[in-house]
Amino acid sequence: MTLFENVHWIALLPLIASFVILFLGRDDSDKSLLPYVGITAMGVCLIHSLLILKGFLFGGFKPYYRTLPWFSFGDFEMSLGVLIDGTASFMLVVVTLVSFLVQVYSLAYMHGDPRFKRYYAYLSFFSASMLGLVITSNLFVFFACWELVGVSSYLLIGFWFEKDGPAYASKKAFITTKLGDLGFYLGLMVLFACAGTLDLNMLAARAQMGPEYLPQQTAALAGILFLVGAAGKSAQVPLFIWLPDAMEGPTPVSALIHAATMVAAGVYLVARTYFLYAASPLAMDAVAWTGLATAVLAAGMAVVAYDIKRVLAFSTVSQLGYMMLALGAGGYTAGLFHLTTHAFFKALLFLAAGSVIHAVHTNDMRQMGALSKQMPSTFITMTIAALAISGFPFFAGWYSKEAILHAVWLRSPLMWTIGVLTAALTSFYMFRLIFLTFLGSSRDAHCCEHAHESPAVMTGPLWLLAVLSVSSGWLLEHNGLFASVVHFGAEAAAHHSEGGLHAAPAWLPWAALAAFVSGLAAAWRLYAREDLSLAAGIKERLTPLFAMLENRYGFDRFFLMLVSASDRLASALAWFDDQVLDALFIDGWAVITRAVSELQGLFDDLFVDGAVDGVGIVTRNAGWGLSRLVRGQVQEYMLYAALAVSLFATFLMTR
Amino acid sequence: MTLSHYLAVSTALFLIGLFGALTRRNILGILMGIELMFNAANINLAAFNRFLHPSGFVGSAVAVFIIAVAAAEIVVGLALVVAIYRAQGTLYTEDIHLLKG
Repeated sequence: MTLFENVHWIALLPLIASFVILFLGRDDSDKSLLPYVGITAMGVCLIHSLLILKGFLFGGFKPYYRTLPWFSFGDFEMSLGVLIDGTASFMLVVVTLVSFLVQVYSLAYMHGDPRFKRYYAYLSFFSASMLGLVITSNLFVFFACWELVGVSSYLLIGFWFEKDGPAYASKKAFITTKLGDLGFYLGLMVLFACAGTLDLNMLAARAQMGPEYLPQQTAALAGILFLVGAAGKSAQVPLFIWLPDAMEGPTPVSALIHAATMVAAGVYLVARTYFLYAASPLAMDAVAWTGLATAVLAAGMAVVAYDIKRVLAFSTVSQLGYMMLALGAGGYTAGLFHLTTHAFFKALLFLAAGSVIHAVHTNDMRQMGALSKQMPSTFITMTIAALAISGFPFFAGWYSKEAILHAVWLRSPLMWTIGVLTAALTSFYMFRLIFLTFLGSSRDAHCCEHAHESPAVMTGPLWLLAVLSVSSGWLLEHNGLFASVVHFGAEAAAHHSEGGLHAAPAWLPWAALAAFVSGLAAAWRLYAREDLSLAAGIKERLTPLFAMLENRYGFDRFFLMLVSASDRLASALAWFDDQVLDALFIDGWAVITRAVSELQGLFDDLFVDGAVDGVGIVTRNAGWGLSRLVRGQVQEYMLYAALAVSLFATFLMTR
Repeated sequence: MTLSHYLAVSTALFLIGLFGALTRRNILGILMGIELMFNAANINLAAFNRFLHPSGFVGSAVAVFIIAVAAAEIVVGLALVVAIYRAQGTLYTEDIHLLKG
């Protein structure tokens, strides 16, 4: 099985590539060949991942687990290893494929950027950290890669750091996700304290042995703490505030973050540690409700956004909520299925949006309109992606959303209702985006008249992703292919082999379809025409609602308040320190001390000073003489010290 | 790999750090040199632990402490660097000679 024995190269190759690009070659122009190093490395990894996935799908591969001892500390041994199961094999393909396409696409998109070379180094590094996170068998290494993902996202979101927006956004993303990472870290410590290992395989085995080996409270605590971490990375309520701002980075980076690397990490964390959630219904419920709240809140915000990338960002948040909801409702396969299909159409949406922005040089949909004639390829591919994400029958999103809603129905019809509502909103805001951008009238002639189709190196990835957005759902759902590889435990596999849709009423799929149609129809009625006054009228009448949505339900303000509240607390404490502690204990003490010392001073002046003055004169003269030796260079002192120590050491050793 | 290999590496690292700390003009460079010397000491501790008392872990534990202390040290050092830069407008040691006699 050389495929498996070399699997660590999938993470190492892009890492090496990124350092090669960063350190080799001074040519920072766009004629440099260095980007091809990154593209080639990612291409090799893509082929490798595809071969592994093929083995899992058709070759009957079993999960592969191998570890090497890393370091030991007393009795405790930390191991370094890989754990490749069906879930990981799918993640590998998703990450490498999206990352490969993004790198190809960026050749044109970032053409002429002054830091072209560095951009490619960062991209490779980003993918390498994510791939490391996917293959590792050890939660400790997982955490390290998780942080590396955070760092590289910081670098890429703030890639144009000379502008204020990206610099602020990268800081916000970093600090917000760090807040979640704190939860992840605490979770790791809880697990380690209970189980004494962070190896995923051993932990899972422990969880399977029963509650005496992994108490339910521990599982719940660790699971919820991991959920906090996942909420930071995967932009769940209430830590989603960084994702819309992360749009300040280059658009291909947004595609990478949203489709494959960063935000998928949180969902993947929950999937990897699913044994915790299986052991604790409380943690499971927390995941489900977090996901549900995120899905519906983010969909609401997407409806009112005018920045084309922000709409997509909120849509990502909402879809991630869907995945979490599925995982929390027990639909392990459904959640990861949606993760896979979502990666394809979300990458496509972002890359197509990038193509539009590249052509019209604005993000504001109010200035676009009627671009379908100028940019046919972008228009068609983006419409395909919109159909896929909103669940048009037989497109990729239809299958995965269907699977999620089915799993959620079995859990709770209330959750299902909110889920379907979110699906309707999804379809509405996606087609609002399509209609505003590509149909109607061209609202800003200045922007739109020079718009033209992007070069083939950009549209190529678009078409490839469009094909995947259409076909991947059917291909993977067909014969239960996806479920045969990605499932949790034997139970879930059995459940799916029985033919999926049992125990749920037959009208279930029709409700989702109705949600899709109603969303599309509403968007058509409001936005697909030259005259947008109807939409404006509705906005007029519902001003408070719109204001709330545009303010993102005040979450941003809440966190800012948190910061300024702690600021105020700090200054209050500073005041207390200054005015009370200092005044009472320091200044009061000083008064007493001063009185005593004045008394002493009298004595001092009369008797001691004479003696002191004598000594002082001697010392001053001697000191003046010696001070000629001291030249104020700190390193000279260090040299004397080093010489003295080595002389002393020589003396000791030769004695 | 014998003990001497580790000691050779740590000696080299220590001397590189010492050389850096003595010859760099910039305070930041001196701090980096000092870090290298710290880590040379860490290698010694870990190596002695491994070869002389393989069953214990005090040496490694002390090394971990040193890492933490080094982190704290560098925090204080960098704060001083910032303060010096604000006060003196330079980080070159030959220009900072307030103690000159």
